[in-house]
Amino acid sequence: MSNLKALSRFEQPIAVPGRRLLHHINLDFVRNKVAGGGRRSVNQELPLVPFIDFLLCIVLFLLASFSATGELPIDKNVKLPSAQNVLDMVEAPMVAITGTQILVDGIPSGSTRAIEEANRLQRIDELFNVLKSKHELWKQINPGKPFPGVCVLQVDKRVTALVVKSVFQTAAFAGYPQVSFMTKRIGKPAGGHGSG
Amino acid sequence: MAGIDTGGGGGGHGRRSVNQELPLVPFIDFLLCLVMFLLVTAVWSQMARLNADAQVPGPPNPDKDIDEQKKEKTLHVEMRGERKFDLVWKEGTTVVNTIEVEKKQVPIGNDGEYTYPDLAKKIQDEWTQNGAHRAGTDKKFDQAILHTDNTTPFQDIVAVIDAIYTPKRQIKIGTQEQDIPSFNVTFSVN
Repeated sequence: MSNLKALSRFEQPIAVPGRRLLHHINLDFVRNKVAGGGRRSVNQELPLVPFIDFLLCIVLFLLASFSATGELPIDKNVKLPSAQNVLDMVEAPMVAITGTQILVDGIPSGSTRAIEEANRLQRIDELFNVLKSKHELWKQINPGKPFPGVCVLQVDKRVTALVVKSVFQTAAFAGYPQVSFMTKRIGKPAGGHGSG
Repeated sequence: MAGIDTGGGGGGHGRRSVNQELPLVPFIDFLLCLVMFLLVTAVWSQMARLNADAQVPGPPNPDKDIDEQKKEKTLHVEMRGERKFDLVWKEGTTVVNTIEVEKKQVPIGNDGEYTYPDLAKKIQDEWTQNGAHRAGTDKKFDQAILHTDNTTPFQDIVAVIDAIYTPKRQIKIGTQEQDIPSFNVTFSVN
């Protein structure tokens, strides 16, 4: 304690650590009462600084993992396959195949029934028209910019290769040659950016 | 509550106090609100993508002469066999080399999913020996063409594409170097 007193003789911008609460109360009997009157004090100091440090850490972590683009719409009926060597998702038209229905950004845009019945690779006209109109709309909104030509296929893992290839070919015909397959990520990611 | 005490007392001798109390409670309230907002809007997405290229040629430029394109080696992955994969290196239509890999599924998780680690290892070895585009400044990729049966389930296709994307090379994007899959995958038309 003598050490503290010696330190407090000098003008210091930062105070010697010690009690701050009840420091300026001049009423001795109140101070004695509140401080416990010779018994153990009933007041407790809350360690607020570590609590604030902890909150700041949480805030920084959440800010770092914050996504402004929001959640990707995934159909409940679609069971996606998993893959290891994947790329991060990009913002692009989402073509979902659920059962026999094809959806583009949630809007019905054709059926796979005709392909399954014909049992051969073919263009899906309704899907082609929807994607083509999206392509043209993008060009009108962004004149002079190169069109990225990326679309994402959200395909159930039980869908056959014939349907996948038909949708893939249709997307390429409609001006989307860079087709990505949506998967669940397992293990270590490959990297932040892709060639597409 | 937290405060700043200069040690000179509570501003005696008629002067204004130099000690200050920091209002920590509103600050904590603000931080808690921020935490709540970020937790509510947080998205921990496990979604990712596997890229494929439809190999659509660009429009011809009438001002330029057509250059003779050098035929590059392409890796054809034949997955129509029941027990094995065939890896075929071709230059144009000429077969350079053929390798057989046993079709050995290794399950992952409890969802009936699987990978082909033997195929991935073989493709990695093949790219190390025969890959043409390796330099960090080379923007072109080696081409892999996938041959599938019409009835092959999509899960099987993804497992094979995942194996093809195992070999990676560093490529310079802007000022950063990143690991990118060495192959570019496309489908063959039956």
